[in-house]
Amino acid sequence: MLGYIFRKFLFNNSLKSKDKYMNENTDTAGSNGDPLSSDLDKNLAVIKEILRDSSDVTFHEFNFGHDRRFKGALVFINSLADKEEINKNILQPLLYDSLMLHNTVDMDFTQIDTISRNILSVTDYLKVNLLSSLLDNLLAGSAILLIHGSNEALAVRLGKGKSRSIEEPGTEVVVRGPREGFIEDVSVNIALIRRKIKDTDLCVERFVMGDKSKTDVYIVYIRSLVNPKLIEEIRRRLNRVKIEAILESGYIEQYIEDSPGSIFPTVSNCEKPDKVAAKILEGRAAILVDGTPFVLVVPMVFIESFQSVEDYYARPFFVSIIRIIRFLSYIISTLGPAIYVALTVFHQELIPTQLLISIAEGRERVPFPAILEAFLMLFAFDLLREAGVRLPKPVGQTVGIVGAIVLGQASVEAGLISPIMVIVVSATAIASFAVPAQTDSGTVLRYIYLALAGIAGGFGVIMGLLATLLHLASLRSFGTPYLWPVVPLNLAGLKDVFFRMPLWSMTKRPTAITWDDGDPYNQGPGLMPSPNTQDNSDSQ
Amino acid sequence: MRKKTCLSMVKLVLYFFMMLTLSGCLGAREINDLEIVIGMGVDKGEGGQISLTAQIVNVSSSGGRPSSSGGGGEGKPFWNVSSKGDSIFEAVRQITHMTGNRLFISHNQAVIFGNDIAAEGLQKYLDFFLRAHEMRPTALILVAEDKASDVMDTKPETEKYPALNIAKLVETYGFTSHLYKVNMKDFASSLMSGTTAQIAPLLSIVKEEESEDIYVSGMVVFKDGKMVGKLSHDEARGLLWVLGKVESGVLDVSLPDGKGKAILEIMKAKGQVTPVMEDDKITFQIKIKAETSLSEQTTTENLATNEMFEKIQEASAEIIHQEIMAAFDKSKEFNADIFGFGEMLHKKYSEQWKKIEKNWDEIYPTIQLNINAETKIIKTDLLKKPVSPKKEEK
Amino acid sequence: MSIEKGKISSQQLLFLIAGFVQGSALLIDFAVGITEHQTWMVIIAGLIITAPVVLSYVLLSKMFPGMNLIQINDMVYGPFLGKAVSLYYIFFFMMTLSFNVRDVGELYMTFLVEDMPFVFLLVVFAATCAYAATKGLEVLARISHLFVVSGLFVIISNFILLIDQMDFSNFLPLFELPFIRIFQGIHIMSVIPFGETVVFLMIMGCLNRTELAAKSTFFGLLIGAVSLLGVAVRNTAVLGKTQTIWTSTSFQSIRLINIGTVLTRMDFLVGIAQTVLVFLKCSIFFYVLSAALGQLFGLKSYLPLVLPIAGIEVIIAATVFQSPVDHAMITQNAGIIYSVPLIFIFPLLSIVIARIRGLPKPEGGKEA
Repeated sequence: MLGYIFRKFLFNNSLKSKDKYMNENTDTAGSNGDPLSSDLDKNLAVIKEILRDSSDVTFHEFNFGHDRRFKGALVFINSLADKEEINKNILQPLLYDSLMLHNTVDMDFTQIDTISRNILSVTDYLKVNLLSSLLDNLLAGSAILLIHGSNEALAVRLGKGKSRSIEEPGTEVVVRGPREGFIEDVSVNIALIRRKIKDTDLCVERFVMGDKSKTDVYIVYIRSLVNPKLIEEIRRRLNRVKIEAILESGYIEQYIEDSPGSIFPTVSNCEKPDKVAAKILEGRAAILVDGTPFVLVVPMVFIESFQSVEDYYARPFFVSIIRIIRFLSYIISTLGPAIYVALTVFHQELIPTQLLISIAEGRERVPFPAILEAFLMLFAFDLLREAGVRLPKPVGQTVGIVGAIVLGQASVEAGLISPIMVIVVSATAIASFAVPAQTDSGTVLRYIYLALAGIAGGFGVIMGLLATLLHLASLRSFGTPYLWPVVPLNLAGLKDVFFRMPLWSMTKRPTAITWDDGDPYNQGPGLMPSPNTQDNSDSQ
Repeated sequence: MRKKTCLSMVKLVLYFFMMLTLSGCLGAREINDLEIVIGMGVDKGEGGQISLTAQIVNVSSSGGRPSSSGGGGEGKPFWNVSSKGDSIFEAVRQITHMTGNRLFISHNQAVIFGNDIAAEGLQKYLDFFLRAHEMRPTALILVAEDKASDVMDTKPETEKYPALNIAKLVETYGFTSHLYKVNMKDFASSLMSGTTAQIAPLLSIVKEEESEDIYVSGMVVFKDGKMVGKLSHDEARGLLWVLGKVESGVLDVSLPDGKGKAILEIMKAKGQVTPVMEDDKITFQIKIKAETSLSEQTTTENLATNEMFEKIQEASAEIIHQEIMAAFDKSKEFNADIFGFGEMLHKKYSEQWKKIEKNWDEIYPTIQLNINAETKIIKTDLLKKPVSPKKEEK
Repeated sequence: MSIEKGKISSQQLLFLIAGFVQGSALLIDFAVGITEHQTWMVIIAGLIITAPVVLSYVLLSKMFPGMNLIQINDMVYGPFLGKAVSLYYIFFFMMTLSFNVRDVGELYMTFLVEDMPFVFLLVVFAATCAYAATKGLEVLARISHLFVVSGLFVIISNFILLIDQMDFSNFLPLFELPFIRIFQGIHIMSVIPFGETVVFLMIMGCLNRTELAAKSTFFGLLIGAVSLLGVAVRNTAVLGKTQTIWTSTSFQSIRLINIGTVLTRMDFLVGIAQTVLVFLKCSIFFYVLSAALGQLFGLKSYLPLVLPIAGIEVIIAATVFQSPVDHAMITQNAGIIYSVPLIFIFPLLSIVIARIRGLPKPEGGKEA
């Protein structure tokens, strides 16, 4: 009985949704593909019918020409269009400037071209002759100029809508380097990149994606550096994506990435124009999505996660130490609790005697097995982090304090958790923030390794590491091996992995990424500074 | 494509599940359940049984957190548990009747054999300590003057644990070079050579009115695992000179004119032994080079002159010579090749060695030593001249 | 035609061979009991004897470009005899692989996780190797240098950490043992670490450029031999006379590391290095075994074979020997006898026959 109802419910539901979908389809297909008619009223009627429930659409009909014999209409969406600009650049020329035309100049204003060439003072416009493209442009914020007698309309793209000003991005704060970050408006973002690379080869390819969202997506690359196969592949993958809406670049990332089953990201994202410019200059391609400050860059290699833009702005010595610290911190953040558990539960003979005695003293009253203790603490840490991120800043701090005091100190005092475990987990927590790009994968790995350590000790951890290594080695990102230049080995590429060699010694672009037929060198040879060693002063 | 991903995920889950069910956390031992053994003593019990004493860290009394139990630890920080058995392993397992947990002997620092065990021979007791995977080959071997359990009961004043204290006493042999640390692997190695005699430090207890203290009173000499005698401090150093193991120490030089003493600190020492075999005569050329510093003097005379240095150096070389000879005489007395002379012959004259190997016990007392000791004073530390009234120095 | 589509470079071949030989570092214990302090000599002698043979494998695979062992056997010995020879090889691969899997299990059982069920260790290890085999030859080849470098790192660092405990007079007298024992040792050495490189006959066909194949094969062998030598010298110098009594000499010498009180108890170092290197060796064996079987059965892909093979390997490894003693006895005596024809005779015979019969014949239809 219950099953019957359930099935019926399901069936009905699916039927309904299918119907709805089909209706919608036929509806849109029926009208949108039609060409515009030359009858203004008819056109307006159709548009009004389609947008009948949208109260923010303005239909402004007017007559113009020096004898007011031409009829026109301006259609735009209030909330998107900049009315001041409409008045100044479209309506004013049409209504008043046309009055000033000499009587003898007999222009045929039923031709859209005539208007756009002679009257309007706008540059960014598009001629449309299909209802569908008219609607697309209207919904994207253009003002649509319809003229009686013409079966074409003019879509005038007006100044941008309101957008955030350029600020320093929250995710990638630098001490030294440009402070600007991408914003939600994609045209601003492209401008930011163009300002960094003023090269004729810089290409900006536009895609419109999403059936409903009609989001602008741009591929930006340098033609002479990028591998044409890469661009071909990106186009292919982007064209495959047939989804309703793209609200963030993450949507695209998940549809175009190489290995959706992997915990490692194969598409990198960043918020800083200088970083994107640097990557484009290495022969990568950036994918900009309207409506988000996060720009996707492909191909991604694992090592990128450990590199920061600042590494190249600062001098190499300190940076090399920082690099190694980042690698270590990734190791600590993934393996820390696992090694602790493996050592204290399975391999106590490997702990120095005095340390073992202090660990034993600390654990004396702890009622849980070490593995459970570790899981509890990690869970508490992730909980704190998640709670802290979502809350407003002042409250977030409170959460941090409560967490640190209550979970850290009090649980040790109460004998629930051993002090060493608190140290291990906090070290892990701190280390996990040092490599932001791999925080996600690091967190997953941490739990996996911990489980392996709890099950099979060091043996489990080693097997897990080997499997991870194999997995990483088999990953590819848009044709580039993920672990390049370590796997497969590339000695020139190693200059920028564990140590950051001086800029003048890294003369070659990454070979696995840049186009083989392009110029492999990013600078001339022998640029090592060779200053004059004599004193400037002439006095002896 | 999607199917494949799905399949691999299923596989991954299966893999995990398999690991969980197959292992079931077997082999896991929480630290709380460990009885951490830091020292073991082996004595002879009644009826030919073995009496084994294990020193276990008493975690709860040592007070990891002072706040937890107000008064701090009242009990001893260690617990000596004894049991009896026919074999060492049996005795080790017998202890679980008292501890409730299995002994964890990976952190065992020292194995102390009682006098009676050493006299009987260590060979048959050693096997367990080498074979058990928890035992480490770096564990030290020592011999107690009387009973091993007594030594392990003696609580040191500054260290918490007697066993760690004993290990420290031996590890720092270099300050005097009066003894040498011998671990399981060294002992086994000399036992396997067939001709070399084994040595191990000897622990004694000094009893004073209220306190008892442990000290290393010399070295025990074993032949084929059986204790045959004892070397005094100086004799032990004589042995170390030859083995090249002297690190530091004190040379007490009486000045030739009998006026007082010069005390030298050994800074660096090197020993080199070359066997020479001529017909049936076996000689060992022993070359000792030591660098010393003048660290104390009991006369008012200024010793920091080249002439005095020469005299002191000569006298100190003589001391080294005597120490070596003393050790050698002792070893002849025991007929135990503590220096490993036999091995040296084996390495250099492997052909001839095969002939004499069997008769080594007879040959050993007849070998000759040709000792050439040299010392050098390389510094006088903070003083250039002795502390003395000015008038003396004319 | 060939079951493997991937290509590897000669540099990757070098690291594969080096890692493969390094993977036998634990197995030199088989010889230590026989050759004692002269093990180092035996390793060098083994290398000198085996190097020309291994180089002849390169020659053979150059004569049949792009072909693997099974295809070569078919061509040289004809379809029936060739299949028989191939089956012999596959039997050898199967047994050697299960011995190696068992070695890892025994290593962990004895030293690191003694309470863990043996079969569990075998299953997990074999499953991980199978995972590696499914990733294919290219991935294995690409990561091989990491294994070799980490192996060398551990061997060198152990050497340095133990240098104060080394007594180089342990190598004296230089020549002491009777020749028969040295010969036995050389036999073990030339078969186990070096001779097993016969598996590369399955791999050499995938080289993208064959010009450097001989050179990289030789240097790979050399790096492997130097690593083994480092291990053998360290063990003898540190352990001296006792080296013959331990179950694992390498482990025992690492357990002696004691510098300060901090650098001590480094067992895990050698544990990790050993596991990782044996893992590479086993994965290569695993891949070769699956590919060989797949080729023999004329499959398009060897992937479906991997899991069944893993199961079979575990069963063999878990049941074929009663104890480590049994394992050592059989490997020392029987194991190295039956593999001799495969390592020394068949490849050379193939070259001779191919020369005489003028193989490979340019078969117009197939080549085009």
